[in-house]
Amino acid sequence: MHIPDGFLSPQTYLPAWGLAALAWAWAARGLRASLDETTVPRLAMATALAYALGLVMVPIPGGTSGHALGVAILALVFGVRQAFLACSLVLLLQALLFGAGGITALPVNALAIGLCGALAAVGARRLCAGMGETVSVALAAWLSVVVSGLVVALVLGIQPAIAQRPDGSPLFFPFGLALTLPAVLVPHALIGVGEAVVTVLVFRYAKARRWPTP
Amino acid sequence: MADSLTPRRRLLLYLGAVVGITFVHQPLPLALLLCGALALSGRRRWRLLQKTLFAMLAFNLCVSLGYLALSLWQGKVSGDWLLLANLRSCLLVYLGFWFIATTDLLAALAGFPLLCLLLTLTIGQMQTFTRVLRDFRLAFASRNLRRPGRRAQALHAAAQAQHLLDKSVAAASESALAMRSRGAFDD
Repeated sequence: MHIPDGFLSPQTYLPAWGLAALAWAWAARGLRASLDETTVPRLAMATALAYALGLVMVPIPGGTSGHALGVAILALVFGVRQAFLACSLVLLLQALLFGAGGITALPVNALAIGLCGALAAVGARRLCAGMGETVSVALAAWLSVVVSGLVVALVLGIQPAIAQRPDGSPLFFPFGLALTLPAVLVPHALIGVGEAVVTVLVFRYAKARRWPTP
Repeated sequence: MADSLTPRRRLLLYLGAVVGITFVHQPLPLALLLCGALALSGRRRWRLLQKTLFAMLAFNLCVSLGYLALSLWQGKVSGDWLLLANLRSCLLVYLGFWFIATTDLLAALAGFPLLCLLLTLTIGQMQTFTRVLRDFRLAFASRNLRRPGRRAQALHAAAQAQHLLDKSVAAASESALAMRSRGAFDD
């Protein structure tokens, strides 16, 4: 669900860079102490998995792309902070190596997918813990995709209102919320099902290998 | 002149250019800037341009066609936004590819050791993933003279996924142990 470069106004992405910098500082605090030769390989593997999942993209008319995120598995196994950092790293590499997403859109993509997605996944897992492991992990993964999609749709949908010429024509993304919300959310509600399946499988793999989860 | 810039200065120049471009709202200056970038990037320009167009084609085509359809429906067709949005995207993506083709990213981020550590590990993992996927694909192709059925493909994918995860963890463990022996986790 990357927002590509060139569709976000400076009024949006510059404050987003400030907000993301604060969030990255918060996430990185204490990370160095928690990384050792057992956690690093797992985090690196899960990050690369999220990277691989994100490469299979389908453009969506709402101005973004549809693909699995991998953020739920990162959040459920490593916690919100590490998931956010790993996801941001994946987005940076995808932007620079493949032109997917972009430097101007990076903070919005990272906050939407890496932070909001991770928080949604962990929150849903805790709320639905009583429903059993498979159901709660699947719901967490589905919700992480939908919440991320919602944030992306909202940010895109407000662009025509905050960046326009005096005659009212758009300067950046041209479609309003009435179009972006359904265009992004409906496909992602379906993509979330696939994300849920992948997340459950990888989560079971992690449990079978006795990885400690937060 | 560009070759004499340090990786850090290239990074700052790239980031400054990206921000500056988003404040330009006329197609003509953007077109001139794109021509300037093409002229300055030397012999690699056509390869970079091809990569740029390929990267942005699907998304920009999708949004542009949607905008065109909406404009036609509303009866106020204007090519100005189409030109502006596509030129801006093209220039931004081109600059990104040009930057990464000419700059060592790890050297540019040398002041951020944690970021460098994570980037090194992730890039190493990506290479492991790519190598394992290629090996599996070639092995699968060499063992099937005819196009395999869906069941065979599903079994292959399941075996590949399991191996991919194990191999990936093992490769990263080796990297982490090497880093441990060099004191990477000590400070």
